[in-house]
Amino acid sequence: MNTPRSNESPPHDGQQLQPTAGKSVVQNERIFRLLVDAVDEYAIFALDAEGNILTWNQGAHRLKGYSAEEVIGTHFSRFYTKVDIDRRHPQHELEIAIEKGKYEEEGWRVRKDGTTFWANVVITALRDETGKLQGFGKVTRDLTARRNAELRLRESEERFRLMVESVQDYAIFMLDPKGHITTWNLGAERNKGYSASEIIGKHFSIFYPEKDQIAEKPKWELEEAIKNGRFEDEGFRVRKDGETFWANVIITPVFTKNRDLLGFAKVTRNLTERKLAEEALREANADLEKKVDLRTKELSASKARAEAAVKSRDEFFSMASHELKTPLSALMMQSQLREFKISRGDFSDFKHDQLAELCADDMRQIQRLVDLIDRMLDVSRLSIGQFELDVEIADLAEIVKDVVRRLTPTLGASGNQILLSAPESLVAQLDRLRIEQVVSNLLTNAGKYAPGKPVSVSVQAEGQMAKIFIRDQGGGISKDKQEIIFEPFERLKERGGVGGLGLGLYITKKIVAAHGGSIRVESSDQSGSTFVVELPLASKKVVGNS
Amino acid sequence: MSQKIILIVEDEKDIRKNLKKILEMEGYLVEQAENGKEALAILHSSTSLPAMIILDLMMPVMDGFEFRDQQEKIPKIATIPIAIMTADDHIDEKKMRIRAAAAMKKPASIQTILDTVKRIAG
Repeated sequence: MNTPRSNESPPHDGQQLQPTAGKSVVQNERIFRLLVDAVDEYAIFALDAEGNILTWNQGAHRLKGYSAEEVIGTHFSRFYTKVDIDRRHPQHELEIAIEKGKYEEEGWRVRKDGTTFWANVVITALRDETGKLQGFGKVTRDLTARRNAELRLRESEERFRLMVESVQDYAIFMLDPKGHITTWNLGAERNKGYSASEIIGKHFSIFYPEKDQIAEKPKWELEEAIKNGRFEDEGFRVRKDGETFWANVIITPVFTKNRDLLGFAKVTRNLTERKLAEEALREANADLEKKVDLRTKELSASKARAEAAVKSRDEFFSMASHELKTPLSALMMQSQLREFKISRGDFSDFKHDQLAELCADDMRQIQRLVDLIDRMLDVSRLSIGQFELDVEIADLAEIVKDVVRRLTPTLGASGNQILLSAPESLVAQLDRLRIEQVVSNLLTNAGKYAPGKPVSVSVQAEGQMAKIFIRDQGGGISKDKQEIIFEPFERLKERGGVGGLGLGLYITKKIVAAHGGSIRVESSDQSGSTFVVELPLASKKVVGNS
Repeated sequence: MSQKIILIVEDEKDIRKNLKKILEMEGYLVEQAENGKEALAILHSSTSLPAMIILDLMMPVMDGFEFRDQQEKIPKIATIPIAIMTADDHIDEKKMRIRAAAAMKKPASIQTILDTVKRIAG
């Protein structure tokens, strides 16, 4: 800490510093010298009138790297860069100091080791009482650190500004304390449609719908932001072209270190797309759900129908195959038996008076098969809508008499006597074969379900209708069954019958309906049933070919 | 040795007729019933019991299953073996269910019938 002075004696140890007021000039000077010397942050030194260095201090040593011996007596321009020296800058500084009394600048200075530093320099012209120039006082401050910090700050600010500017999706901008727009970014331009030059300086309430402006909502939002430290809202905002969009807005007040309001930072996010997307999604979902529901219901119904149909069909098939096997088994056994006998040379069954019966036996089974298959075909045709009547003018009375005649032996075999009551003739338009089928079916049923008891058949005309009554004395049909017996595959166990496909009445009803007529059963007690068929005399259906 | 009796329980007249002929040709005595109820009545009143019963399953009034249930309750006739004859599916199931000694599917060949009867009735 030894800094030699040109012509002063250094204070020796133990000598205390005294307050200067009232002291001698010499003592004051000594204190000042100590003061200057002790300062190590600033280089404070004196130059003579030509610019040679007269004094030095710790700060100067620290700053410039030279010790006092090295510099005292040398010219101060050694601290300048070559460039400055070449352009006579040091001398220039002195000239200005002389002229103006002081010169201040910031610039590069050179250290002893050749490195440069950024300095703040003040040169003061020192004059005596007469005003004669004695020399210069120089105070130099190292601003490198500060300058670097400033540069870094500027750089980082620049980076930040660029970042904010380039964000496209969010409008990020600043307002002054009154709400005027001071900055702008790409996102803001995109969102709101204004370019920076168009919008800076304007009040931010321009973005608000008219009703909000009238209600002074923008002003209120700023106040809220200050009160609560931030303000967030979702609402409509207005673009430059007048279109509105749904926005999420956050306003944050910005304060200086002194708690002065610098302004507000505003971040606006366009939620319109998101909102629309959400809505669309919600709608689509709801729609989809509805559709799925509907479709599920439809499918369930279809499935149920299909399952029922398959079940029906399966039952039909199993019953049909069962029914078909019966006459086939009989035929087969008959044939096999004959073969068997022939193979044993037994011709006792084949005498010519027995041959007729053999044929009749076969024919009976074959006819059963044929009938069965015909019924199955009918049902199939009914279901695919191919059921057509061949309507002609015919005598219903004659048809009924025919059928009765034909079935008398069969019914006789099961003990059913047929009692017929019919007029001479009853002309109507109908499908002869199909009506025969109807009468035949009803008669056969009566015989099957009421063996041993008489069956009465009567035919009559009543106004525009022909009526056929077939009455048996069987067990009767209960009320709840009276409807379903006309449905396909329905057979009444109570009526004792199991044979047949249960299609007879179904087909019968279809035929009657196709003629425009109706069929019903009357059975009040258990004393029997009466089937009543009504047919219009004049066909209500397609008039066929005769 | 006296002739063996076979009871045919079948509602189809023609099948019954033919079966009867076949079995009689082979030297069996044949009794016949139209349904389960008739069959029980015949068994109840007969002095000599059949060596086996050929039983159809689908019959009116009393079907094959019902008949079997009733037959097994009456000690006198409970042990008479049965062979079922039916056009139905699931014949093995039915055979097990009804505890038949044999099952024949309609239409059955004469040979099958005779073999079955021979095996069960002897």
